Amino acid sequence: MGGQRVKILQLLTVAAFAVIILRLFYIQVIDSEYKNKASNNVLRYEVQYPPRGEIYDRNGEFLVQSKEVYDLMVVPRDMQQFDTLMLCAIVGITPEKLQAELDKAARYSRRLPSVVMKQLPKEVKVKLDERNFPGFYTVYRTIRSYPRKIGGNLLGYVGEVDRRAIERDSYYRSGDYIGKSGMELSYEKILRGEKGVRVNMVDVHGIAKGSYADGMYDTLPDPGPAITSTIDARLQALTEELLEGKVGSVVAIEPSTGEILVMASSPSYDPDELVGRESGNNYMTLLNNPRKPLFNRAVMSRYPPGSTFKVINGLIGMQEGVLTPDVRYSCSMGYTVGRGVKCHSHWSPLNLIDAVQTSCNAYFCYVLRNILDNRKYSGIREAMDVWHDYVQSFGFGTTLGSDFVDELKGFVPDAAYYENKYNGRWNSLTVISLAIGQGELGCTPLQMANLAAIIANRGHYYIPHVVKEIHDRDSIDARFYEKHYTKVDPHYFDPIVEGMYRAVHMPGGTAQRVRLDGLDICGKTGTAQNPHGSDHSTFMCFAPRDNPRIAISVYIENGGFGATIAAPIASLIIEQYLNGEIERDYLVQHIKSMKVNYPYYDRQAR
Amino acid sequence: MTGRQDKAFGSGHIDWWVVAIYAALVLIGWVNIYAAVYNESQAGVFDLSQRYGMQMLWIGISLAVAVVILLVDDKYWHMLAYPFYGVAILVLLAVLVVGREVNGAKAWIFIGPVALQPAEFVKFTTALALARYMSRYTFNIHDLKDLLRVGLIIAVPAAIIVLQNDAGSAVVYGAFLFVMYREGMNGWLYVAGMLAIALFLGSFLFTPETILVLLVLGCTVAEGLTNGYWKQKIIFLSGIALSTLIIYFTSVFFITENTEVFWALLASVLVSLVFVVLYAYRHRLRNVYVYLVLFLSSLVFVSTVDYVFDNVMQIHQQKRILDLLGLESDTQNWGYNVNQSKIAIGSGGLLGKGFLEGTQTRFDFVPEQSTDFIFCTVGEEWGFVGTSIVTVLFCLLILRLMKMGERQREAFGRIYCYCVAAIFFVHVVINIGMTIGIMPVIGIPLPFFSYGGSSFLAFTVLFFVAVRLDAGKRELLRN
Repeated sequence: MGGQRVKILQLLTVAAFAVIILRLFYIQVIDSEYKNKASNNVLRYEVQYPPRGEIYDRNGEFLVQSKEVYDLMVVPRDMQQFDTLMLCAIVGITPEKLQAELDKAARYSRRLPSVVMKQLPKEVKVKLDERNFPGFYTVYRTIRSYPRKIGGNLLGYVGEVDRRAIERDSYYRSGDYIGKSGMELSYEKILRGEKGVRVNMVDVHGIAKGSYADGMYDTLPDPGPAITSTIDARLQALTEELLEGKVGSVVAIEPSTGEILVMASSPSYDPDELVGRESGNNYMTLLNNPRKPLFNRAVMSRYPPGSTFKVINGLIGMQEGVLTPDVRYSCSMGYTVGRGVKCHSHWSPLNLIDAVQTSCNAYFCYVLRNILDNRKYSGIREAMDVWHDYVQSFGFGTTLGSDFVDELKGFVPDAAYYENKYNGRWNSLTVISLAIGQGELGCTPLQMANLAAIIANRGHYYIPHVVKEIHDRDSIDARFYEKHYTKVDPHYFDPIVEGMYRAVHMPGGTAQRVRLDGLDICGKTGTAQNPHGSDHSTFMCFAPRDNPRIAISVYIENGGFGATIAAPIASLIIEQYLNGEIERDYLVQHIKSMKVNYPYYDRQAR
Repeated sequence: MTGRQDKAFGSGHIDWWVVAIYAALVLIGWVNIYAAVYNESQAGVFDLSQRYGMQMLWIGISLAVAVVILLVDDKYWHMLAYPFYGVAILVLLAVLVVGREVNGAKAWIFIGPVALQPAEFVKFTTALALARYMSRYTFNIHDLKDLLRVGLIIAVPAAIIVLQNDAGSAVVYGAFLFVMYREGMNGWLYVAGMLAIALFLGSFLFTPETILVLLVLGCTVAEGLTNGYWKQKIIFLSGIALSTLIIYFTSVFFITENTEVFWALLASVLVSLVFVVLYAYRHRLRNVYVYLVLFLSSLVFVSTVDYVFDNVMQIHQQKRILDLLGLESDTQNWGYNVNQSKIAIGSGGLLGKGFLEGTQTRFDFVPEQSTDFIFCTVGEEWGFVGTSIVTVLFCLLILRLMKMGERQREAFGRIYCYCVAAIFFVHVVINIGMTIGIMPVIGIPLPFFSYGGSSFLAFTVLFFVAVRLDAGKRELLRN
């Protein structure tokens, strides 16, 4: 009897301890939940923000600087009694507002830090450090400042990340800053640097107990490297000044490299307005402005290229063998076949060079019809697609691949498009407006500047880009070093260049008023009809004629004739760039005083 | 006589294995108190302003007392059992009057700078008194009068401790039930007790319908196992099911739509009892009445549990039970201790974070970490390896004490050793069980680990008297 009971008691003892050991094994070895909870208890991750990379112009002048500011944070759980009025006085906030912020923080989390006030200057941070308010601390941040206040759309702006960006990229946490447009957006991954983290331990009262594991898991923030852009700040400033009051865009490219020297979109804005505590309100004001200052027209608007496009038709004609530079066509105030295309007065008959010089509409109608009705091809459809491919090889109807993420493709129609539009009943006369860069064609100012660069280079281009150097890298993206040839042989470009030279330098040329001896500007004007009012004024040019250093496209909405506004602006930019100064002050004043009306935009304002 | 003492102490009759386990536990225990209160700014191991310093002092005192116990003749313990018990009861009563309240329990007396908790020593004196009474030649455990006296010896100190508002410490007196089982107490009482506990827990975990169904099924199957007649069991059960349905739908259609299944089932079951009685009478099966009584008393018990829980228990006791059963969880308030304790132990992993590297314990996330929750430090810093070593050591200690009891020639020594084993068992299982969430939170110390001079000294005395009794008897055996 005793023996059995002893066994039962022994068994009971062993069983009880076995249960304990099994339970210990489960919570210590199998279940990892407790380890996470322990980390949550003890570890506090403090983000260390890196300074954002700065941006220089091509001559080393600051375009964007980073300014050191401090966000005031609070961990409600760690707060103790403090002198509310003193804190309010230091950071410049009313006690009511402070209380509201603290309540909000406590509602969000008692354990996690919340922002009380953003972007306090360093002096305030120093004062806060002297007083030491428990539960409050400051976090280093950088914000942008713009010494020259230029290039708003080009540089873009920086703002707090939205929810979508946080979901897309785990790098971001609520409250982080991110590039929202322009270069800030396209080079975000470089400029932002790498955040660091400091892992601290706290006790049950949230009081810091020092670095975890002697800082083994800490990382230092890695500052974003600076970027040297291809932009010429002085040229950019001049351009923006000249564009004041007008709606449009200017893009200037260095043809030998594809580097963008100027990219201006007007109206623009002071980039400093989108920094700091007022940025939200300023943003809304800009957003509601009917002239859309936040819209980077240089890469995002689609314009008819107008007469500047004629040179492409000339080039295609020669390459296709349906045009020789010496062939003459006559024109008396227009092309008379079909619905006809009007022209202005000039001598007749004329050859290709003359036609470029005088911008004869009729001449290029003949050229286009020769291309589209070429017997070589089975019919209009095949010929149309051939034409389309030629045009596309000039960078139209497709994104160029520049470093602007929101670059527009533009539009170049092909046979399928017209088949669909005209139900199969169309011919070369139906699409005759393509001859003079009208009709369905749409392109961006960047594409037009690229065309100027192609002609300057006699047949090739480099993808336009705004970044010259990233400071911790040997090279920029490989695609910017690649030479892109058009489908037209380089030697066919000579008569076009000659025509563009004469357009500026010879009597009968469309852009003689922009001539300035020594600059050797070659240009082509354009006057693009559009459904929204007066014609757009456009001018495409490069200079000097030999070994060109700058290629420009100017596009002024509703500016009238290309020679009226667009050409002088381009001329002044070239003068500034090649001569380093402007002698024609009268022309600057003239351009500045020139007012263009925009009933289309301003009507929306009401 | 002195010669015998010398022999007892010096000639290897002492069970050195059990002393070695004791020494290991004491060492590990002190190291963990050191870790639990460790602070870079105080480095001295003997710093008496720190708990590890104080504990070191108490360990020294206790070891001195242990040596004295080993030197003293073992027959004194039998002699002094009743006087000690009487004095202890008087001291307990005195504490009730002049004691000081710490953590809600009026259980402490202060002699100069030294704080003592007399209740810790009363376990020892009660064990002695119990051993002496139950080892009487005329003692018969089946005699109700003797049993009542045993109950009195246990209940008096336990009751006074409850009056001190220290119900946790009183639970330990339940340990003596194990001893009584060893001494031949009726086993069915324990089965009934365990059933009661199961029903108690079941009444929280299951709905009334489920419990009723389980009871009916359980009793019917048990009866079937003893008597057979399975066909009638099936008819009986289907009869209950059918009549439940009839009663239920009749009530829904003719009385109230809010009829509860439970009441229909209960009515049906009660009616069926008539048939059970008829069945028992016809087959002349008297044991059926046992199951009938078992069933009815279970029913009554379950319905009283609700009443007791709601009206007798204090809120913190209710919540501890609900938390333990996983029915409610509030980690911020009363569930905080256990939750943090589980986090600390669980985060230790297999090998632990290393000595003095436990973040949860060092940064005060675990409350009472050097006293009731000292096991968290073991778990966090030494991992599963550490906790299982400690647990196994305790298990071996208890089994060894039981073995020491078995090899006693006299009942006094045997009963005393079992008392010690049972007290250790209850302390260890409840304390460790509570830190890992399988026992309710009952504030009793982990022997040799929890900080506290009174408990350390009391456990040492308790233990070494058993060792001395064992050594004495082995010596006798050899002579």
